[in-house]
Amino acid sequence: MSDKNGILVVAEPKDGKLANVTLESITRASALAATAGGPVSVVIIAADAGALSANAGRYGADRVYVVETPEAAVFRPGLFVDAAMAAIRAADPALVLCAGSPDGRDVASGCAARLGAGLLVDITGLEIQDGRFVVTHPCFGGSVIVEKEATTSPAVATVRPNVFAREEAPRDAEVVALSVGFSPSSLLTKVLEVVCENAGIVSLEEASVIVAGGRGVGSAENFALIRELAVELGAAVGASRAIVDEGWVHHQYQVGQTGKTVSPQLYIACGISGAIQHAAGMQTAKCIVAINRDPEAAIFNFADFGIVGDLNVVVPALTTEIRRRKAAS
Amino acid sequence: MKIAVCVKQVIDTEAVKKLDPASWRLDRSVACVLNPYDEYAVEEALRIKEAHEGEVVAVCMGPEKAEEAVRKALAMGVDSAVLVTDPALAGSDAQGTAYVLAEALRTFEWDLVLFGVRSTDGETGCVPAAVAEQLGVPLLSTLAKVEVQGSTLTVHRETEQGYVAYECPAPAVLSVIKGINEPRYPSMKGIMGAKKKPLDVKDASSLNLDVSRFGQSGAKTRVLSGRSPEPRKAGVKIEDDGTGAQHIADFLASQKLM
Ligand SMILES: Cc1cc2nc3c(=O)[nH]c(=O)nc-3n(C[C@H](O)[C@H](O)[C@H](O)COP(=O)(O)OP(=O)(O)OC[C@H]3O[C@@H](n4cnc5c(N)ncnc54)[C@H](O)[C@@H]3O)c2cc1C
Ligand SMILES: Nc1ncnc2c1ncn2[C@@H]1O[C@H](COP(=O)(O)O)[C@@H](O)[C@H]1O
Repeated sequence: MSDKNGILVVAEPKDGKLANVTLESITRASALAATAGGPVSVVIIAADAGALSANAGRYGADRVYVVETPEAAVFRPGLFVDAAMAAIRAADPALVLCAGSPDGRDVASGCAARLGAGLLVDITGLEIQDGRFVVTHPCFGGSVIVEKEATTSPAVATVRPNVFAREEAPRDAEVVALSVGFSPSSLLTKVLEVVCENAGIVSLEEASVIVAGGRGVGSAENFALIRELAVELGAAVGASRAIVDEGWVHHQYQVGQTGKTVSPQLYIACGISGAIQHAAGMQTAKCIVAINRDPEAAIFNFADFGIVGDLNVVVPALTTEIRRRKAAS
Repeated sequence: MKIAVCVKQVIDTEAVKKLDPASWRLDRSVACVLNPYDEYAVEEALRIKEAHEGEVVAVCMGPEKAEEAVRKALAMGVDSAVLVTDPALAGSDAQGTAYVLAEALRTFEWDLVLFGVRSTDGETGCVPAAVAEQLGVPLLSTLAKVEVQGSTLTVHRETEQGYVAYECPAPAVLSVIKGINEPRYPSMKGIMGAKKKPLDVKDASSLNLDVSRFGQSGAKTRVLSGRSPEPRKAGVKIEDDGTGAQHIADFLASQKLM
């Protein structure tokens, strides 16, 4: 694979851990390592980066670059690009993988611009064909799926959460401390305050199960039914735009073309009609379950399992049923 | 404060998007609109202008018909616009687009460049960061709030848990999300007035663009093949007779999803 060496994963620190998508990327990179013909390195940029490095090794990293500085306690775009660039210079990888998250996109795009490298966004597949990295990318809300490659080496890509498996493959990773000289323009951005209004919620993009509610939920108060089912399933909560526009839930929950794109293992749509713009954000879910009282609702055209019924009855009954089965097992 | 706002024309979400199998480019012959996310950027720019005086300039790269999207921004209240259009620009990837926008932004002075968080057809969300790099100014993306005091910007960057408040001096590149404001509808007067507002149309040569950096030939990514996914099929549909929840639980168990 050219004269470049292996794959570098730019880690996303999250709540004192490494984000799932980072572990998924490391797992995928290690599976390709033999063919890629180079090591899997990871760079961790955080105030507590050293403490996070063992986890990278557990998922198969050969080498972990650690940029540990209080300046990196909270994401700062320019500074993270500076640090990622230092790791790219040290590792000289053929491919750089970043998280498919707002932070990851900023880092990937910044690095690609500095490197003049091809940028592959939101990939859901990564293979090596004839010695070249080929990625899969769903576009237009998953209505077209393309295979792409970068014409540069290194290439930079962002990885959609939840598409690669996360498997432990413990290795004694070599830990290398990197000291980075941050550029003056990166230091212009200062963090004033970190506000956690909804600490502990399951991240929508990373969730493997999502319970989503639409206008059929009827009111803001009644959305509690959706939350209760989500808690029982350890799921994240999603919503259609209709109820975001109504102000029943925060727009952070919106799934769809003008909301979030999610690829969970399971998506339970409650009182959602299944409009094309909603489908655009969730039709790559592995399994879709729909609860809707209208037998003609479009959602039933692409749900794997549908119940025609009143969500006010079915959703609480499902919460109870799952609780009962969990207690029994 | 002089604010540039980058706006893109995108294919209407109701239209079925197709890739031309010969070039793997998006078929743009269908109905197009101003990128919905960019309406928030335009609105935010107008609000900053209204609160602090100044001027708002829209910048767009696209085919000639992208003028419609630019006129919508003008109708909303933007003062003037730059449209970069040239057949040679077709096929630009996010990096190429960012290069062209950055070059267009170098042709006039501004304190702030606003972007939508992503386009509904390009969907990369990467153009703002790449433009910031090209211009060498700080980036703050995914913003739910922007406050301007003198030349200091205080912003809220949305996170899953809440937000992070940052401070940064102008000049800077910012991208804003849905929810930051409620975009205004163009008034009749605005729509009429938009036709007379200055629109500066530029091509690749008037911007002295480096041909190796944009268009199909300058693209650093290449589509190898494309396909429609297997359409999802309708699965089981059961009328609830009081056992609906149990049916779902059985299904989830059978799929090892519980
Ligand atoms: C530019 C643009 C972008 C858009 N982006 C998005 C987007 O990102 N995300 C998005 O979701 N939408 C988006 N939309 C809106 C989309 O077109 C739909 O209007 C929206 O998804 C509908 O939401 P809904 O299914 O909750 O509501 P409705 O279409 O009103 O459907 C409600 C459903 O609930 C069912 N129902 C009612 N009561 C009950 C009950 N008691 N029990 C069970 N079922 C019940 C009804 O049968 C119905 O099917 C966008 C639209 C446009 C024009
Ligand atoms: N061709 C373009 N012309 C002007 N602005 C653009 C163009 N492409 C992208 N943008 C801006 O960059 C943002 C992100 O777009 P994207 O990276 O394509 O998702 C958009 O919301 C626009 O503000």
